[in-house]
Amino acid sequence: MTARSPGCTLNETVPPTSNRSSLDDVIDAYKSGIDVTLIDENLRRSVDERLRYLQRLLEFAEELRRAGRELATKR
Amino acid sequence: MTDFAALIRRLSDARIEFILIGGVAATVHGSVRLTRDVDVVYARHPDNIRRICDALGAVHPYLRGASKGLPFHLDVPTMITGLNFTLVTDEGDLDLLGEMTGGGTYEQLLPGAVRVELYGRPCYCLSVDQLIAAKRAAGRPRDIDALAELEVIRDRQTASDSGAD
Repeated sequence: MTARSPGCTLNETVPPTSNRSSLDDVIDAYKSGIDVTLIDENLRRSVDERLRYLQRLLEFAEELRRAGRELATKR
Repeated sequence: MTDFAALIRRLSDARIEFILIGGVAATVHGSVRLTRDVDVVYARHPDNIRRICDALGAVHPYLRGASKGLPFHLDVPTMITGLNFTLVTDEGDLDLLGEMTGGGTYEQLLPGAVRVELYGRPCYCLSVDQLIAAKRAAGRPRDIDALAELEVIRDRQTASDSGAD
C-alpha cells in the first residue's frame, strides 16, 4: 500500500480558476515597462500624423545607423 | 529606407485588395514602436495578383536578403506558385502575405478589419483585436513587447470609448 497525502491522487487535475495563461502574466510584466505618455501623445495625433511621425522616426534611426557605420570605419 | 507613403499610395492607387498588418497597422492604432517595412495580406485572386505585379514592376521588387543575380521576377506565375513574399523595392521593404499566421487569408481578415484613410487613400487595416490575436497565435518571444503595447492601447481606447479617464 502506498501512502498518499489526503486529497491528493496521481490522476487528480486542478480545476481551472480562470482562462489566464502564463503568457498573460508575462505580458502584464512587460506592460509595467511601457511609457504610456508616449502612447497617449500618439493617440492624440491623427492616423496620418502617426504615420508621418513613424517616417521621421525611421529617418532618424537610419541617420544614427549611418553615423555609427561611419564611426566604425574611422576606428 | 522605406517610404511608407509611396508604397501605400502605390498599392492603393493600383486598386489592389490588401490589408495593412504588422508594425504599420500597429502605428495606425497608436503604437510608438519603430517598424521598417510595410506588411500586407493580399487577396489571392488572379486579377489582384496581376494588379500587384503591374504596380510593383516599376519599383523593381526583389527577394529581400537574397543574393544578387537570382532569376527572380515578381510576375503572375511566381505569385500563384508562391504565397508569402518578403521584398525589397526602390520604395523600401514590402512583405506580401497570402496568409498570415494566426489571422488567415484576406477574405478571412476583411470582416474584422477597419477602414482608414492614409495619405488621402482609403485602406483596410487590421483592428487592434486582430493584431493582438495574431501576435498571440504566432507566439514569438520577440513579439511580447509589441503585444503588451497593443493591449495597453486597447485598454486605453476602451476606457476612452466608455468615457473614463
